[in-house]
Amino acid sequence: MNTIIALTVLGVAILFLGILKKNSWLLPTILAGIPIVLILTITGWDTNRHYFNDMLIVDNYAVTFNSVMIFSTFLIFMFAGKYYHLVQRSLDDIYAIVIFALVGCVLMTSYGNLIMLFLGIETLSIALYILAGSHKESITSNEATLKYFLLGSFLSGFLLFGIALIYGASGTFNLDGINSYVINHASHLPPIFKAGLFLMIIGLAFKIAIVPFHFWAPDVYEGTPTLVSAFMVTVVKTASIIALFRLFSTSFSAVKELWEPTLAILAVLTILVGNFTGLYQTNLKRMLAYSSISHSGYMMLAVIAFSHSSANTLLFYAFAYSVATILAFGVLILVREAKGNDLFTSFRGLAKRNPVEAFSLSVAMLSLTGIPPLAGFFAKYYLFFTVMDKGYLWLMIIAIVGSAVSAVYYFKPVISMYLEEGQEFDLKAGVAYRMSLLFLAILTVLTGVLPFFLINLI
Amino acid sequence: MITRYLFYFLSILALYSAIMMLISRRQIHSVLYLTLAFFAIGGHYILLNAQFLAVVHIIVYAGAIMVLFLFTVMLLNLNTEQKSPKKMSAKIGAIVSGGMLMIVLIAILRTYDISMTHDPDLTQIGLIKNLGKVLYEDYLLPFEISSVLFLTAMVGAVLLGKKEQI
Repeated sequence: MNTIIALTVLGVAILFLGILKKNSWLLPTILAGIPIVLILTITGWDTNRHYFNDMLIVDNYAVTFNSVMIFSTFLIFMFAGKYYHLVQRSLDDIYAIVIFALVGCVLMTSYGNLIMLFLGIETLSIALYILAGSHKESITSNEATLKYFLLGSFLSGFLLFGIALIYGASGTFNLDGINSYVINHASHLPPIFKAGLFLMIIGLAFKIAIVPFHFWAPDVYEGTPTLVSAFMVTVVKTASIIALFRLFSTSFSAVKELWEPTLAILAVLTILVGNFTGLYQTNLKRMLAYSSISHSGYMMLAVIAFSHSSANTLLFYAFAYSVATILAFGVLILVREAKGNDLFTSFRGLAKRNPVEAFSLSVAMLSLTGIPPLAGFFAKYYLFFTVMDKGYLWLMIIAIVGSAVSAVYYFKPVISMYLEEGQEFDLKAGVAYRMSLLFLAILTVLTGVLPFFLINLI
Repeated sequence: MITRYLFYFLSILALYSAIMMLISRRQIHSVLYLTLAFFAIGGHYILLNAQFLAVVHIIVYAGAIMVLFLFTVMLLNLNTEQKSPKKMSAKIGAIVSGGMLMIVLIAILRTYDISMTHDPDLTQIGLIKNLGKVLYEDYLLPFEISSVLFLTAMVGAVLLGKKEQI
C-alpha cells in the first residue's frame, strides 16, 4: 500500500514539475524518488498485512518482487537522460506514465482479489499502449502501438470473461475464497469454472507473450521506443509472470492436474519457438524480443513446478534476467544512436574503441545464455533444479536443449564485436553512462558469484 | 410470463443486430446495428433488475461511444460499400476458431445448473443503493485506484494529441 501511494505521488509530482517547466529537475526527482519508494517497499518485509478486505496483500512475495521491479525501473531511468538527450520538449508525461505503469505492476504482484488483478493489468496496458506510440513521427512506433492496442484490448476481454465465469461458479473474486471453493469442489468442478480458468490462462499468456499468443511481441518490442521496450521486456514481463504465479499458487493449486498439462505444453512451445526463431534474427532488438519470449517460457517452469522454493527461484531468475536485459538495452541504445540501426553487422569492430560497452554487452549476453559464473547461470541452475526436484525430467531436458540453442544467437553480437573486422567508431557514451553500464555488469557478476544473498530470501 | 417473452424478443434482437453489424457492407449500417445491439443488451440488464447498469450502459455505449463512431465514419467519409479485404484462408481460420469457442461455451452452459442462481439476495444487487454500498464498502480500494488508470489515460491522450514531436 505504501508503495502504491508513494509511486502515485511521485508520478503526480513529475506531472506538476512539467507544468512548472522545471524540465531539468525531472530525472533527478525520479532518480531520488525511486530509491525512497524502494525503501518504503522494503519496510513492508515480514509485516504480511492485508488491506481493504484482502484486496491487497503485502506479504514477502509482494515485497521482494516489487523491489525487483522498482529497482529495474530505476536502472532503466539511469539510461533515460542519454536516450532522450536530443529531445527539446518536456518529458514529464512520458516519465509519469512509466511510473503509473509501475503502479499497475505493483498491483499485479500484490493483489488478493481478481478485480485488483484486472485493474492492475489495465493500468499497465493502457500506459504501455501510450508509451509504445510515444514516438509519434516514427512509423514503426505507430505500428507497434496499434498492434498492441488492438490485440491487447481484445485479449483483455478473454481475461475478463474468464474472471466472470470463475465468479459465476464460485461466487467470489477473492483468491482465498476461490481456493476454498476449489478444495470443496475439487472432484466435481463445474465446466463453467474450467472454462473460466482456461480463458484466464489465455488472457495472461497474451500479456506475458507465451507461444502461441506471442505473435504481437516481436513487432511491438521492435517498434516501441528502445527505452520503453526495455521496460516492457523486464518489468512488465516480471509483473505478468508473478501475477500468473500468485493466481495459480494461491487459488488453483488444489486442481493442479487440470491446468498443469496446458501450462507445461505452453512453456515447452515457448522455449522451443522462442529460441529457434531467435536464431534467424539479424538485429539485436528483435533478437532480444525473442530472447524475452523464451525466458518467459523458463519462468513458466517455476509456476508449473510449484513448491515452497519456486517463488525464490522465480525471484532470482527475474532479477538476473532483468539486470542482464537492461544492460543489453543500455548498449543497444548507444549503438542505435551512433549507427541508426542495430543489425549485428553494426556491432563489427565495436570492441576496439569502446571496451566498456563491448564488455558490458558480452556480460549481458553470457548471463542470458547461462554461462557460469554469471547471474544467469545460477538462475537457470536453481530453476532446473526445482523442476528436476518435482520430477519433471522431460521439461528440464527441453529447457536445456533450448538453452543450448540460445547460445548460438547470444554469441552473434559478441563475435561481431570482438572477432570481426569493421569500421572503427566511437559510441560517445559519456562517463556517467559508462559507469552505469559497468555497475550493471558488475552486479551481474556479483549476483553470480554470491547468489546466496538472494536464494534463501523468501 | 411477459418477462420470458421479453427475454426472447431482446435476445433475438441482440443476436440479429450483432450478426447484421458484422455482415453489413456499409460501415454506417454496421454502426447503427451495433447501437441496436447495445440497446437490446441494456434491456437485458433491466430484466435482471440492474437498472443502474442498464442506464450507464445506454448512456456510455449507445450514447457516447456510438456518437464517436458515427462522427469518425462521417468525418473520414467511410460510407462506401467495401468488399472485405481478408483472404479466404483468414476467413476460414477465424470461423473455425470462433466456432470452437462457441462449442466450448455451449458445452458449458448445457450442463450448467440454473437452479443455483436463484438467490433472493442477488436479485436486489443491481439497485443503485445496494450497488453504492458495495462499491464504497467492499470495493473501495479498486474504486479509488482506478483513478490512477484514468489519470494515465488522460495524460496519454494529451501526449498523443499534442503536435510536438519527440
